[in-house]
Amino acid sequence: MHILGINLPDSHLTRFALTNFYGVGHKTAHRICARLQIHDRCKVKNLTPFQVTALSSFLSSPGTVPPIPRLPLASKSFVAPPPNTPVQPLLAKIEADQAARKPKSKAMEALSSLKIESELRREIRENIGHQRMIGSYVGKRHAMHLPVRGQNTQTNAKTARRLNKLERH
Amino acid sequence: MRPTLSLLKSGRSAWKGPFFVAFPNLKDALQNNVPIHTRARSCTILPNFVGIRFMVYNGKEYLPVIVTQDMVGHKLGEFSHTKKRFIYKQTKNK
Repeated sequence: MHILGINLPDSHLTRFALTNFYGVGHKTAHRICARLQIHDRCKVKNLTPFQVTALSSFLSSPGTVPPIPRLPLASKSFVAPPPNTPVQPLLAKIEADQAARKPKSKAMEALSSLKIESELRREIRENIGHQRMIGSYVGKRHAMHLPVRGQNTQTNAKTARRLNKLERH
Repeated sequence: MRPTLSLLKSGRSAWKGPFFVAFPNLKDALQNNVPIHTRARSCTILPNFVGIRFMVYNGKEYLPVIVTQDMVGHKLGEFSHTKKRFIYKQTKNK
């Protein structure tokens, strides 16, 4: 299955298949699954069409997706309104509660600021470009294709030679 | 848990604030464009340093650093390089 141009192999578990996205690791994938209520052992081929659309809409713009509606259970002291109460004001009250609810948990905030694929690549490129523009040591080391954080360069430093450049992506 | 300084992106605790050295001649440097000679390479560049010329020690000599707006939050030492690339110089008379 392809979501946003990325191939998710059908036989893989969803939470592992999601790590095919650049910028989504195991932890983020787990969070996304929890957010969209995809169970742990769900394979990509078993996703319902609704879940697929939810997944693609979430990944295309994580910041603008509304939080999941949370409808708490009634407390012990709850007294039901009399049966002849009109429904409209009650619904309005529930909707107002939903609107007032703000994402509290850290996980939700982490997901709303999620950056993947080209957006993340652009951010990395901009960060390196910033360092280079102000002429700092970090920017200089990137331009020289050498390790940035004080590693040895007499031998090894292979990863830095491969990755560290001004136009990284 | 105390919040970290998201602005400075350092691992330093927020309650400590950024590390900096108080330069007594800051105002004079800004008005008369006199460079400040310093060895405090670990001093964070604060917003009120913008426009000041520093001469930052790299272990051998004082190198000029002109502070711009983008440098705020970095350290002075990041702009005074301590290492020079080896260049082979051929000796003529041998």
